[in-house]
This record gives sequence, C-alpha cells and structure tokens, in this order.
Amino acid sequence: MGHRQADGSEDPLAAALAAASRILPDQGPLGVFIHHNTLHAFQHLPFHAAVQRGAELLGARPYLELDAYRAAYAVGRIEAVDVAHALSQLPDDDTATPVALGLSLRAFRELLMLHDPVAVDAAGLAFNRRRGPPDARDDARHRACRDAVARCPSPSDGRPRVLPRHRDVLLALGGGDTDLSVMRELVRLAAAFLDQGQMLAPMPGRDGGFLAAVAALYADGTSAPRGAPGVDRDFTRVHTQRQDARAVIAERLALLGVAQAEHEAYLVASAVALAGWAGMFARLEAHPEESHGVPVSLADYMAVRLILEHRAIAHEAAVLEVPLELPALRAAAPVVNAHAVDDDAERLTALARAAGLDAAAVDALDTAAISAVWQQCAAFPALARRAVWLEAYEGWYRRQILDAMVARRAAGLIEPPDRPAAQFLFCIDEREESMRRAIEEQGLQFETLGGAGFFGVAIDYQGLYDTAPSAHCPVVVTPEHEIYEAPLPTEHARDRLRRRLRDGWNSVHRGAHCGSRTLAGGAGLSLLLGPLAAIAAIVRVVMPRASLSLHARLRDVLFPRPRTRLSALRTATADTRTERGKLPGFSLDEAADRVAAVLRSTGLAGHLAPIVILLGHGSTSLNNPHESAHDCGACGGRRGGANARLFADIANRPDVREAVRARGVEIPADTWFIGGLHDTADDGVHYYDLEALPTTLYGAFEVADQVLQTARQLSAQERCRRFHHAALGLSPASALRHVEARAAHFGQPRPEYGHCTNAIAVVGRRQLTRGLHLDRRPFLISYDPSLDPDGGIIERVLAAVGPVGAGINLEYYFSAVDNERYGCGTKLPHNVTGLIGIMNGHLSDLRTGLPLQMVELHEPMRLLLIVEATPARLLEVAGRQAEVRELVVNEWVQLVSVDPASGAMQVFERGRFVPYVPGRSFFPRVAYSQAWHGTSREHLTPALIEAPVDMPPSAVRAARAAHG
Amino acid sequence: MADAIHVALAVVVLAPLVASVAAGSRLLLGDTWPAERGVATLLLLGLVSSLAASFFIAAAHGGVWQPAVRGEVDFGSWIAIGTYEIPAVFFIDNVAVVFSLLGAVLTALVARFSETYLHKDPGFFRFYVLLGLFAAGTQLLAFAGALDLFFAGWEAIGIASTLFIGFFHERAEPVRSAVRAFVTYRMCDVGFLIAIVLAHELLGSTRLSDLGRADELPGIAVTLLGLLLLLAAFGKSAQLPFSGWLVRAMEGPTPSSALFYGGVSIHAGLYLLLRTSPVLDAAPLAAAFGAAVGLATAAYASAVVRTQADAKGGLAQATLAQTGLILAEICLGLTTLALVHLVSHALLRVWQYLRAPNMLHDAHHHAHHAGHAVEPPVQAGARASRRLYLGQLHRFRLDDRLDAAVAPVIGLARFLQRLDERYLARTLGRDAQATGDEHDGPPA
Repeated sequence: MGHRQADGSEDPLAAALAAASRILPDQGPLGVFIHHNTLHAFQHLPFHAAVQRGAELLGARPYLELDAYRAAYAVGRIEAVDVAHALSQLPDDDTATPVALGLSLRAFRELLMLHDPVAVDAAGLAFNRRRGPPDARDDARHRACRDAVARCPSPSDGRPRVLPRHRDVLLALGGGDTDLSVMRELVRLAAAFLDQGQMLAPMPGRDGGFLAAVAALYADGTSAPRGAPGVDRDFTRVHTQRQDARAVIAERLALLGVAQAEHEAYLVASAVALAGWAGMFARLEAHPEESHGVPVSLADYMAVRLILEHRAIAHEAAVLEVPLELPALRAAAPVVNAHAVDDDAERLTALARAAGLDAAAVDALDTAAISAVWQQCAAFPALARRAVWLEAYEGWYRRQILDAMVARRAAGLIEPPDRPAAQFLFCIDEREESMRRAIEEQGLQFETLGGAGFFGVAIDYQGLYDTAPSAHCPVVVTPEHEIYEAPLPTEHARDRLRRRLRDGWNSVHRGAHCGSRTLAGGAGLSLLLGPLAAIAAIVRVVMPRASLSLHARLRDVLFPRPRTRLSALRTATADTRTERGKLPGFSLDEAADRVAAVLRSTGLAGHLAPIVILLGHGSTSLNNPHESAHDCGACGGRRGGANARLFADIANRPDVREAVRARGVEIPADTWFIGGLHDTADDGVHYYDLEALPTTLYGAFEVADQVLQTARQLSAQERCRRFHHAALGLSPASALRHVEARAAHFGQPRPEYGHCTNAIAVVGRRQLTRGLHLDRRPFLISYDPSLDPDGGIIERVLAAVGPVGAGINLEYYFSAVDNERYGCGTKLPHNVTGLIGIMNGHLSDLRTGLPLQMVELHEPMRLLLIVEATPARLLEVAGRQAEVRELVVNEWVQLVSVDPASGAMQVFERGRFVPYVPGRSFFPRVAYSQAWHGTSREHLTPALIEAPVDMPPSAVRAARAAHG
Repeated sequence: MADAIHVALAVVVLAPLVASVAAGSRLLLGDTWPAERGVATLLLLGLVSSLAASFFIAAAHGGVWQPAVRGEVDFGSWIAIGTYEIPAVFFIDNVAVVFSLLGAVLTALVARFSETYLHKDPGFFRFYVLLGLFAAGTQLLAFAGALDLFFAGWEAIGIASTLFIGFFHERAEPVRSAVRAFVTYRMCDVGFLIAIVLAHELLGSTRLSDLGRADELPGIAVTLLGLLLLLAAFGKSAQLPFSGWLVRAMEGPTPSSALFYGGVSIHAGLYLLLRTSPVLDAAPLAAAFGAAVGLATAAYASAVVRTQADAKGGLAQATLAQTGLILAEICLGLTTLALVHLVSHALLRVWQYLRAPNMLHDAHHHAHHAGHAVEPPVQAGARASRRLYLGQLHRFRLDDRLDAAVAPVIGLARFLQRLDERYLARTLGRDAQATGDEHDGPPA
C-alpha cells in the first residue's frame, strides 16, 4: 500500500497524502486486472461502518437503493422472516415495549423499512400524491396528518452542511464548475505522463517526475487554459525555482486559505474529485514495477492539481466577486433550508396507513406521540435501514443454501468410489461449477475437485513468445522460481520460422497502426488498406466465429507452432540464480513438497485415479478492455494453463514421485497427470504434453476426454440461458457454437458474465455439495478434514482463499451497488487511454472497477463462506491469521461452520457461532441439471440432482439427448 | 426502366426512414417496450432494402441495362410558389453512386454490429431510430439533385450526429459536447443557407446541373458562393477553426462514433464540395482559401495526433488530418483522387474505430504476450520542442480561442438578459411566477 512515513517526524502533509493514497482506488494498469476489495482501506472497520464511511468520502452508495430491496421483498426474494431476523440482530432490538404509534421498536422499524416513503423533493412528492390511489379516507387521513405535523413538526437536524471545497461553494453560488476547468487540463497532462505506449510522441522530461515535467513544458512559454489563467506563470516559477511538490502543495493550500486542521480533508476531497487518475498515481507510486520506469508520485500529481485548482478557483471567484479564502467563501455561501412540511406529512400519512390508524386516530395523537415518531425515525436513519435490508437479502439466500445442504445430507451424500476412473482438478472458480456438475452427472466414477488455480506452483513464467516473465500466482505471493517454455530440440527450425514471421507480422501490424495515424501514412494506407479493411470488417462482423477459426487455422498452417517443454526442474548442483534473482526451476525436493501439498490439501492423496486432469483457466475475448478481469485470480490475473502444465510435468516424474512417497503420499504407478487450460469465454479445452501419455492409459484418457468434451458443451448450454441472444433450449452443440461466436465477436460487450454469479465459497469435501444444483454460484475448495488432524491445511487454505474470494466478491459487490462511482459504468463509450485504463468518451476520470455489463446480473451480497471445520478450529485459524480474522470479525464475509462429523451448522453472528436451525426441507429433485435450469434465465435456488448411475459417456449423451 | 429508377430512388431514401418512423411510433405510442430483436430487424430490413436499391441504382448507372441511367431524375416540385420552385430532383452520377453505396454498406454494417453491442442498453431503440434517420439523410445527401434537397439530408445527418454525441445524456460531458457540435453545425449551416438563397438569386435555380453555369457569374458573386459553401463544409467536416468539436464527439457508443466520425458524417462536408465543384472551379480565390484551410487542418491534426493518449481521440485526429488533405485535393480540382481517397479512408477508419476497444488486446498479442507495454515507436528526444509538445497536447487551445472569439456575443446576451431581469421582470415577474407554479409545482 501507499503508506509514506515521514522520516521519523510527524509530517501532517505526508500523513494527508498517505490518507488520500489509501482511500483512492487501488487498481493497476488494466492489462492485468486483479480483483480486490474496493474499500480495502477500510477493512479494519466493521463492514457497515466501513461502507458508510467509504461511501461518504467517495460520494458513492454503500448499498443498493431502497427501491431495489423493496422490489426484492415484493417478489419474495426477501421474506418477512428474513427482515425480522435481520432486525433481531440489532443490539437494542426489543419486541415488547411500545415506542411509537403503539408499536414496539422492532415493529416500528419494520414499518419504517417497508412503508416509509422514499425521500424525494417537493415536486416529486406532489407528483406522487397526484398519482396515488384516489382514496377518500386517505385524503382525510392525509389532512389529519398535516394537522398533526402542524401541531408538532419534526425537529430539523439543525446541522448546516459544511461544504468541503471552494468548488462546492462556488457551485452553490451559481458559478461555473472549477473541477471541469481543472479536468480539461489535468487529464491530458496526466494521460501523457502515464502513457505506456499509446501516444506517438511520449512526453519529454518524464524522468524528473510529473510536476517537473509539467512545469518544464509551461516554462517554455505556453499559454494558460482559459478557465485557469495564470497557471503558466505559476508553473514557470516552479520550474525556475525548482520547487518540490510538498512546497507547492503547502503554498497552494495557504493561498486557498485552507486551515491547517483541514489539510487532510481538503487534500482527500480534492484527490477524490478525479479519483481514478489520482488513484493511478498512488498505485504506481506504491508499485513502481508497473510504471515502466517513470517516477510516479501522488505528491507530484496533487501539486499540479492544486496549482490548476487554485487558479481556476481564483478565476471563478473573481467572476462572482466573492473572496478566495475558504472560511470567507463559506461565509458567503447561501443557506439552504431543505426542511419541508410536505415531507413530514407524507411520511406520517404513510406510517399511519401502515399502522392502521385512521384520521380520527391520527387526530387523537398528542404532541408526545408524534414527537416519538420523529424521534424513532431519526434514530433509525435511511442507511441503517438499508444495512438491515442487506442483511435480510443475504439472510434469505443463506437459508436457501444451508437448507439445501441439509437436504442433500438427508438424501444421502454422494461418496466417490475408492478408485475413480478419472479425476478433474479445477480452479476454485465458481464458473467451473457447471462444468464440474456436468462431469459428475456422467457417472459416479468421475470425480471433480477444486483448488486454487495456480496448483501450488507459484512461478514467474515466460511463455515461448513472451518478452519477460510474469508472476503466475496469487498477488500476495512473490514467486521464488522462474520457469520458461522452450521449443524441443527437434523444433528449432520451426521455432525460428515462427518467430521471424511473428516478429515481421507484429512490426507490420504496429507500423500500420501508427502509420495510419500520420498524414502521409494515413493517406497511403487508406488507399492501400481501405478496401481490405472493409472486407475484414464485414467478414468479422457478419460471421465472427467462422472467420476467427479460419484465421487461426491459416496461422497454424502457415506458421506452425513448435512443440515445447517447460524448464520444470533445475539440476541439483546448479543453485545459480537467473538475472532477476530467481531460481531457474524447482529442485527435486521443492517439486515433491509442492506435489505432496496439493494432493493432501485437495484430498486427492490416497485415492488417485488413473487419469488426473488439471485444468487452469483463462478467458479470451475481443474489443474488451476488461478481458484480463476474466482470467484466473489465483494466477494474479493471468491464465492458469502454465501452472497446470508444470504441476503435471513434475508430478509425472518417477524421481519426484519417489520423493513424494517419502513425504507420505503414494502416487500409484498407473496414475498420470495431464495439464490443460479451460477458456471460460468460449469453453474451449486445450491439453498440454499429451505425447508423454503412456500407451497403457490411452483408453482411460479417451474416456476422460469424452466426458470433458460433453461437459464443456453442457456447461456452455447452461451459460447460454443467461444470454438473451441464445434461445432457451439450445442443444449443447449449438450452445458451444454460440459461446464460441460470442468470444470471437468484436461487437460483444458480454463475452462471458465472469464472476457475476459469485455468492458462496464452500471449503470442504465435494460430497457436501455434489448432487446439488448451485447455479454457478459457489467457489468450491476441496478440503478433507480427515486428512488434516492438526489444522495446518485449513489454515493455509483459508489464508489463501478467504482474501481472494472476498476480494472478488467485494469488488463485484461495490461495482454492483454503485456502478457509476465504484464501477466504471457502461462499456459502450469506453475509450482506452495510455494502455493503462479507460475513460468515458473523450475526456473523463480514469474509470476503475467493473463495467455495467459484467455486474448487471450480480446480486450484491457478502461472500457466504461455508467451511467444513468445527467452530473451535475456525477460531484457532482466525486467531493466527490476521487477515482472515479481519474479514470474519468485521463481517466482510459471512462464516458458517459445518461439523465434519455430524454436519451440524453454526453461523457466525455478532462475534459468536450460533447454531443454524434448518427451515425448508423440500427441494425439487431432478434427474439432470438441465432439467432444472433449462427453462429459466433467472437466478435459481438449489435443486437436488439424482445420483447418476454408472454408464459410459456415450450412453449418457444418448440419454441426455432423449431427455432434452 | 425509368419507373424502376424512380422506385429505387424512393426506396433508397424512404426505406430506412419508414423503418425509423415505424419503430419510433411504436416506442412513443406503445405502453410497453418492444422486443429488441423486432426493432433491430425492422431497421435492418429498411437498411438492407436501401442497400439493395443503392446497388440497383449503381447497376443501372453502370449500364447493366441499356440505356444507362445518368443525370437528373425528376420527382416534380417539392415546393412551388409562383415562379419560385424547390425541385424534388435527384441526380445520378459516379460520385453519387459511390457515396450512396459507401453510406448504405457502412450503415448496415454498424446496424448489424450494434445488435449485440447495444444489447440491454436503455438507449437501444433510440439508437436504431436515429440510425434510420441518419441512413435516410445520407441517401438523400447522396442523390439530391438540388441544394435545397441536399440541405434536408444534411440536417438529418446533423441532428442524428448531435443526438448520438449526447447519447448518454444522463452524464453531463456528453451533453456539453453534443451542444458544442450542434452549435458549430448551426453556425456553419448559416453559410449553406445563404448559399442556397444566393444560388436561387443568381442562377435562378439550385439544381446541381445548373451550378455548371457558375462560371457565367461575376467573379465576386461566385467567390462569395464558394466561400459560403466552404463554410458549410468546414463545420460538418471539422476543418479549422471548427475542429474542436470532433475530438469531443467521442462520447457516444463506439459503433456510432465509427459510422459518423470515421465513416460518413465527417466526410459529408467534403461530399458537398464534390457536388458543387463547378462553383469552386469558377472561384479560384475561394478554392485557394479552401486548399489552404485543408492543408492547415491536416498539419494541425497530424501534429495533435502525436500526443493523443486515448484510442478514439487519436483516431479522431488521424481522421481529421485526412479530411484536410481531401479538402485540399478537392479545392485543387483533383476530384477523382479526392473521391477515391474519401471512400478508402472511410472504409479504413470505420474498421479502426469499431475495434478501438481492442487496443489493449492488440498491444499484448502483437508485441508481448506477457502484458508489458510496447516501447513507443518515436522516442522523445532533444529534438522534440517542449513548446510544440504542449501545444499539441492541449490542441493549441483551439476551443479556448473559439470561445474567446464568441465571448463578446455571449457577453452581450448576458447583458441583455440582466436588463430583462432588472426592468422587465419587475413588471411581469408575478405573472411569470404564477404560471411557473401551475406547470412546475412549487418553486424550489
């Protein structure tokens, strides 16, 4: 993080910058997208306090709108019992003593949640009244309520709103928006400074930092923008006097008349005005490896910003003839009295109606009774109500899932056979849940498991045509080892050819890209390429799938890809480091450690099938700046194929297996590991190193492969129910074609829906959830408590999975509750800038978070983390792992313990585990997943899937065809 | 054959318009939202009919059936008052056919692209309705045989363009940019309108076929006519000093940006000059001025493009540079080259715009798989003058200068408004407030 410690001394300016740095969005350049808690800076606070504080600072919404929750209530997505349960969790909950309108505290709060009118302005109120039902009794009641309000008006909260910045006061005075003048100048400068290769001419003098570079540009004699006259002189002075950023900031704050005590608040508010750009400066300052050698600092950015801001404010203040210093300016601000009698009367009417009070009863209310109403309304303000709504919204869903798990246990857990025919190890990703179900439904002999998608091998990986290695592991880990992909010795000629053609094609491509933007190049290339471009455009838009696959086939025929191997192991003697200071490959012991650890923690150890397929995942799509957000989070926002391949490679070596056996894990001689990559956008599967497969296992592999091929079609079919352009009831094969076309289409802003259905994480044996249709919503982490007597495994698993799962879940939560502020809005006008991010249209803040198209289906809830471990074990882990403790105790996730022996569940609520009492016992039973999801496009509650019988995949396919 | 051409001309213009009006009426009159697919299919039907008709006209023009159809096709009078007539006349020649095909193909392509791109957007229907309006305007522009008719198409394109820039009207910046484009269009349309009146006055007709007689006019008159037409073209094609709106127009959805500012709309001003080239031929002074402005715009845009850090802004400037060049070609009389340049340029740019969001993907896949950014091809050196650099970066403050130039006018308007408030409102104030109450509820 961007903490900056002022060398020993307490420096308020450094502290203020550090505060700003923490609050600003922490999203790096968009090429690698890593999901994280948008409000990570507030994670040390309890969830509700944190989201409300963060929202206030960032001008965002902390929860869904009230209307959304009430709509969910109206359709039964929240039930009365959930509201009651959520209210019962409030510390002062009371159901006995009447507090207002003859209702108890609980009942009155429920009334407020359900019936208090949504706060609107006066015109809206008038409109609502006109549109309301023409009920004569209601009119009488309304009149009575108006009288009541006249008798006892609600006390105004009396606190005048303090306008934090000059800009707010100037706007309130009817002036122009100074932030707009600042943005117009600042964004161009910042984009030029941070550009990572999109400009044809990079900014000169970037080595000196942002402030110096900008000052030097102005010092050479350029005019100031119209909205901020005088900045040219200011920057020239900065340049000639070599002022540093801190001095500039202090000077400008003084000129703006910001009191010492307000420095931090002002700096934060000013930084947040363009949170995305400021955040990128803060991020790159903390992560210089992402800035391509450009020295980035938030202080520099704030210095430039404050010079522009000061001059823009001075200009606007002069126009309006108001003082410049903040206190004097605030004194000139108009006093707004928003308190309206109409509002009170409307509220009282609604409450009286809901409480069953008629006009006479309202007339009978005395001043004390009415004042009690106002008091209770104020004591349970809008945000507190929405917090309760969220709890109820989550509570309903939690009941469905926990009850379904109970029902599954009651119907009998589906135990895997002693030796399955094939095992498939997936990433924990919830997008793989449909794939896993589709595999399992083809027979009991097929087992699926889930583990973090880097498969225990944290590496810096360099693919054959990569220019540099990149980390393929969770972001909290720094890899020790460097692995590269090399062509086989027999393939050097092919490699050289491909490399040469690739380089040639790339330089042509790049040349055409840049050249077409120049004057002569543009003219020449237009004439040369114009007609070709038209043909390309038509073909790619009209038949995206066919044209892309033709393109890929042509490429592979013309420039065949050489066969390769990974540099998996280093020789025992060579302990040298690579030039980046990493170890070149694993030693035998390191490899064996990793293999044993993965086999143990996933529960594979002891019953390995002949064929074990490990599938990493990634996602390919076009015209999608957020492409990387669909890649594997456990691989640091990259693809997990290399990790799967590497794991299979080392686990197949006899010497490694020998060493693994010494660690107490037996790998049968007839077991073979195969690495692969699953593309979650087009549902393609690619295997690595199949040529090494022993001939004795060809048959077993063929069966497993058939299962997987069928599963990816079924999974595509299940995904298609969410896509309105795919008809419901598409056959599995057509569904696969549909998702392939999506991924190949330039005009497709939703190649896949990503993590948008995430809601749950189940850490435990698959038996707990096998045979449950969970609608692609759970992260599934295989963990066998019987292999973990001392709790070491669960500690490691939770320490890794907790933050990653919560990070994804919370990023989606925030982007969904306020897509404009926490997310980046609709994709349609997005404009890739500087190769680091996107703007809306021609000039805007750098947009962070997730686009609307990724979160439009998401139900924003905190992750429901269900762990097969006793409460005592979980408390132990939380005691040792600070981040897990923070997430659980501060309620950023909902934790549920499932007793490994009895299956009894306990929910962590208000600091302790409370036994869960199952409610609903009936769940629909279906033969196959498709029978449950086949006719709906909506979110689904769980269903039980009948245990499959053992039959060959071809028979399953036939049966399925008859069924569908 | 003659009848078939009449029908084809009617279809080429009216099919998209009818589809657009039908979809629009359904939206306005129906109680529920129609299905996306229905509206998109309706509009695609209109656009494809228009495209087919355009191909038919091209074939007829090319002499597939003898005799080849060339020159004017009359539909009678649009408006006739005494001897004053606005003819509803179409004019078919190479230039018209090529421009019509270009517009029809690109619009249909974008309509197809947007079916998925705009899916679920609240503005989906608005998008297609506007697309139909735009297509009708383009075809009218392409085949109009008289300046008045041309102006009708011109305005349809202008309105569609403005509304597409302001497509996301729930945000402030798109609306500001839309207003800017609109005001620029209107300012320059003044030139067009005066030119039309002038043509009626001087030539007695605005038929393109009569513009050939421009060389019979006195030099000053034809120069004035040429300059007025140039003014109109400058606005629509964003030539100096009106270039500022173009880069700000990148606010709409990607496909509309592609169609308008890479494809058709940005070239409409140039097409006007191609249609009226006899006037420029007869007015060497005006032509020289036009060429100078074109070259200046080209120089300006190719300087500014070097410092555009955003994908769409870079494309806008690159497009602008080429339009400046094409303008110069037209003014120098190289009309065939200009037409070829225009068409191939539009085709290239539309595709570049459509895949502008793919920038990151391209950067990763065409240079580095690992996701490290590409070294910029042009290294900053001592040669790069900082002053020029900052000039390029803020586009030589073109918008500021334009704003400063019109500031006195706005100042005058403000002054008059204050006078109004101070003296007039004092007597009328109560009444105004009373009516305000009636319509808008209590004053805030």
